[in-house]
Amino acid sequence: MAVFTKIEKNRYVDSLETLSMTADLNSQEGVEIGFASMVKASLKSDLEKNGMLTKEIANLEESDFVIVARCFTREAFDNAVCEILKEDKKQEKDKKSIYQDIEDAVKAHPEANLCQINVPGEYALEETTKALNAGLHCCVFSNNVPLEDEKKMKELAMEKGLLCMGPDCGVANINGAALVLASINNRGPFGICGASGTGIQHVAAILHECGSGVSQAIGTGGNDLKEPVGGIMMKMGIDALEADPETKYIILISRRPADSVLQILLKKIKACTKPVVVFFMGCTPKQIEENGGIFAANLDDCAQKALSLIGKTYELESPEGIHEKAMYAARNLSPRQKYLRGMYTGGTYMDEAMVAMQEIVGPIWSNAPLSPEYKLAESYKSIGNTCVDYGEEEFTLGRPHPAIDPSVRKAEIMREASDEEVAVIVLDCILTPPGHMDPVGDMVSEIRNAKELALGKGRDLVFIASVLGTDADLQNKSAQIEKFKRAGVIVCKTNNEASLLAAEIIRLQKERS
Amino acid sequence: MDCRKILELFNSELVVVSVGSPAFAKAIEDQGYQAIQVDWIPPAGGDRQMQELLKIMGRLS
Repeated sequence: MAVFTKIEKNRYVDSLETLSMTADLNSQEGVEIGFASMVKASLKSDLEKNGMLTKEIANLEESDFVIVARCFTREAFDNAVCEILKEDKKQEKDKKSIYQDIEDAVKAHPEANLCQINVPGEYALEETTKALNAGLHCCVFSNNVPLEDEKKMKELAMEKGLLCMGPDCGVANINGAALVLASINNRGPFGICGASGTGIQHVAAILHECGSGVSQAIGTGGNDLKEPVGGIMMKMGIDALEADPETKYIILISRRPADSVLQILLKKIKACTKPVVVFFMGCTPKQIEENGGIFAANLDDCAQKALSLIGKTYELESPEGIHEKAMYAARNLSPRQKYLRGMYTGGTYMDEAMVAMQEIVGPIWSNAPLSPEYKLAESYKSIGNTCVDYGEEEFTLGRPHPAIDPSVRKAEIMREASDEEVAVIVLDCILTPPGHMDPVGDMVSEIRNAKELALGKGRDLVFIASVLGTDADLQNKSAQIEKFKRAGVIVCKTNNEASLLAAEIIRLQKERS
Repeated sequence: MDCRKILELFNSELVVVSVGSPAFAKAIEDQGYQAIQVDWIPPAGGDRQMQELLKIMGRLS
């Protein structure tokens, strides 16, 4: 084994690309461990930890790009590099008219009206300011943006009467287009404004499934309703949806806003002439209803309440139905199998799952638990009933977020399956245009192997999943569900339903033992 | 609040300038919308010392 490097001086490669290259590099034959990255301090520290920091790399600048790997042979390294740069070269070749900055792009395309920004957080304010000054509405995907920067960009947007969705805006649907990590939805009468990307996507997908849709979905970013930002974008979003003739009903989604922001929003809700369905996690029905809003208790309820406004329903499994399904699913489990393991691609769904599960099976251990005393010492070592968010930093360091590349869970499925006390594994799956084109197909072989592993040891293993997305998504939701089903996975209509079913199975197993 | 510019956006054909990873511009194009890619690189290629120097020289705000 030796360390090999390929250095490109003064070449900038975007983090999403380097992360994807790193994931590719590590899957190449003959590569033990590798990194493709800009030469940041964090890279040097990672290389040092792995005994791979050569003198040559130590002397490189932050503006240099490097591929470094520990391989069996030079040939293996060269082949791996050739393979991972194939896509890179293809993209270079495909480059049509590419501009060096926003001003040039707008000069050449005065018809441009929105700017999607995905740069490292410390540069987001600069680029967003340029875009707003060029008259573009903004959708800022960048995360780790300081709150004072967020406030500055949103104040400028407000002054100019432009949208500034985000920073950390995961989901937005404007004029029918799915921006950043949204799903593709039908157009319809519902205007959504929300601080939770998954929350917006969840409600919009159910509206789509029921034959309705969204006029516009405005993502504000998770920090908008915090005190320092003051809900600037949520306030603008409500005003815009109230004024938009295509929007007949308004839906608002967020964790509980800061108290001062909540008071302002409640006044706005009261002043709306259109019906407003409100899911502010942690708010009481009284707070919402006193101000003329329609209270929603959770994401499923939010979609159901919205649909009831147009005389439609979205049927979910009754408690009796879930009990019956659980009885059937648990029929071949051994009494020793008494725990569930949830494997999530993001925090919103994991939180929703843990809230539902703990009502039935008690506290859930996690790398991001509901109460700090149930934090796992190591995210790779589950205890009892455990849920893990694979979008947390310990899993995303050096690789794309699981919403874009869900393969991080593949090896972990086998780890959980080899624990003979595990009865149920719960998975989520999120569809979006920049995401993996076949996320379920990518993990079915692990699911099958896990089931076979359990069977070989004389036990059954139940897999439960839900898929967030629509049939209009490029991956096609129905096709993805079918792949899960063919692999023997029970597919539930929503994440909450999947959580309740998993917990009911564990409750039954407890009764048995 | 004056919503004219937002309503103007809602009533226009969407044309997106995409700054950063080309994967996001491709995702917009895959849906049939026009995307214009800005090939963003950090000031001074991401070299912090050089950025500080440029700031001092007034070439970087």
